[in-house]
Amino acid sequence: MNGIPLRFGPLASDGYAIVRSGLRWLRESGQFCRAGQPIAYCNVSLEPASVRVGRHHAVADELELQVVFAPRVSGRLTIHPEMARGGYLSIRGVDAWKPDTVLGHIEPDQPVEEGDPGRLRLMVVAGRRMTALADVHSGLLPGWNGRSRGWWCEEGETPVTLLSLGLCDATGVILGEQCAFLEMFEAASDAMQFVFVPDHPVAPCAPVLLDQLTRTPAQFDALAEDLRRFLGTSAVPPTADDWMFAGALLSVLRNTPLKDNYNIISSTGTRRLGPPDAALLSLSAEPQSILRHRTLGYHLHIMRHHQAAAGPAIQAWLSSAFEPVKRSIDVIRQDYEKLIDTLARTTGGRILVLNRMSTSGYEDISNYMAFDAPMSATLSNIAAKEQNLMLHDIAETRELTIIDVDALAAELGAGQHLPDGIHQSGQMQVALRQRILQAMADIRDATPDVRVAGRDH
Amino acid sequence: MLYEFKLPVIVPQMSGATVECLYSARDDSLRLGSKLMDLSVDLSSAFAQECPPVSFYRLVLREAVYLRQIDVQPGQHCALGDRIALFSTDPSEPIDQETTRQVRYTIAGIIHHDGMWTGSHS
Repeated sequence: MNGIPLRFGPLASDGYAIVRSGLRWLRESGQFCRAGQPIAYCNVSLEPASVRVGRHHAVADELELQVVFAPRVSGRLTIHPEMARGGYLSIRGVDAWKPDTVLGHIEPDQPVEEGDPGRLRLMVVAGRRMTALADVHSGLLPGWNGRSRGWWCEEGETPVTLLSLGLCDATGVILGEQCAFLEMFEAASDAMQFVFVPDHPVAPCAPVLLDQLTRTPAQFDALAEDLRRFLGTSAVPPTADDWMFAGALLSVLRNTPLKDNYNIISSTGTRRLGPPDAALLSLSAEPQSILRHRTLGYHLHIMRHHQAAAGPAIQAWLSSAFEPVKRSIDVIRQDYEKLIDTLARTTGGRILVLNRMSTSGYEDISNYMAFDAPMSATLSNIAAKEQNLMLHDIAETRELTIIDVDALAAELGAGQHLPDGIHQSGQMQVALRQRILQAMADIRDATPDVRVAGRDH
Repeated sequence: MLYEFKLPVIVPQMSGATVECLYSARDDSLRLGSKLMDLSVDLSSAFAQECPPVSFYRLVLREAVYLRQIDVQPGQHCALGDRIALFSTDPSEPIDQETTRQVRYTIAGIIHHDGMWTGSHS
């Protein structure tokens, strides 16, 4: 057979043997394949190498664990179809991970400059289920994950970590079309880790994140007890929707993704990474009114379409136990500044923020006399402009990287590429990925020790 | 002359809109720049996704008229092209005649507020 054999390469976890399923293909024989383009994936599990080690391995709380394969060079692909075992054998671990396993060949379409072009690039993806009941076998990072991540690195490299805490404007850019970081993996050859935490049921606005950073275990116990007491005594009988919403809510509130450390498996074994080097936020997540618990003081921001998932008892709890608090632009600014300062002090992490689209082709205002001052309290595009300017004010005194969605949408054409102001086209997502990767490269350059040793948190 | 307001296309993919609140009542004399109503457009029926893009809009009049008939209530969903209101330039003009045209209006994207149907009833 012609072409370069594509082999797995090494992957190891200290004290554990890696067992893999049959492959599931993302590309077919005969198709052209770009360098770095994912072509296949498999599920993996970690099995104790001896009786002395337990089952609490490096990624024990992440029940979804998969490896994605991509060639280092572009060319015409030929796969070995027998690598796909089919049925449950493409889901369950059936073979030991062997570095010399060949999954196919590639005929390069240009001169090869890679030192070892046949060794596949590997991205490991891991999902921490919102509930262990979310046991779904379909596709990449399947089911309902409260946190998912993907990482890749070569020997001697330490990934820089970006935590995505945004809304839909961040989700598509970071997760990509198949919700598994495939586009980021292809776009970035430097060692990286992307972590994604969804915006449900609690949207990640600054007050919520600040609460998470400072919440003590006793405070979490108090808020959990408050919710339990309400549901236990509510005049409105809790439904299944209420219990599921309550469970998801508590699951989110007990976590502090901004302070998480991360274990990774790699070609050289298990590694431990510190908290995220940067967090990606959405300015669109900042509401002008937020719920604050009347007695415990913590904040909740649940977007309207997520509130609809709650049953009547949770709706009653939100109405009675919380009060809405207005947030002026000055308050939003203060919350951002406090978040940036707190994060810098506690983990050294930096903030990247997606600003807001501030024009719309769906309105035709020719005269602003009809709108009361301050117009930013009524007109969404004026509010967006003021908030975007606020970010620049913050960036004058603090480390804040603004990803300029507004300018990019204007450049590409918002009607085609950002029609509702939040959900981008594929082309716009590609452009935003490039900007985010550039920002991460700048962070890597600013902290050169990250690449070789990582930070000691 | 009689003018009407039929629900126009605000967002290309919309099939209708929900009346969020009304600012005017029948027989009101409305000046240029008067607020008529707020509407919401929910594209979740157009796009099957977990994050329905819901946006809010305010209709403001661009000419002075009398509101002679308004056929909607807050919370009511209207289809594209439904006649929502009828206006006249003379307060006593009979309204059982053909309308001349669509009333002149401005559409502005607005922020959700406490006076809206959405959030207080749904």
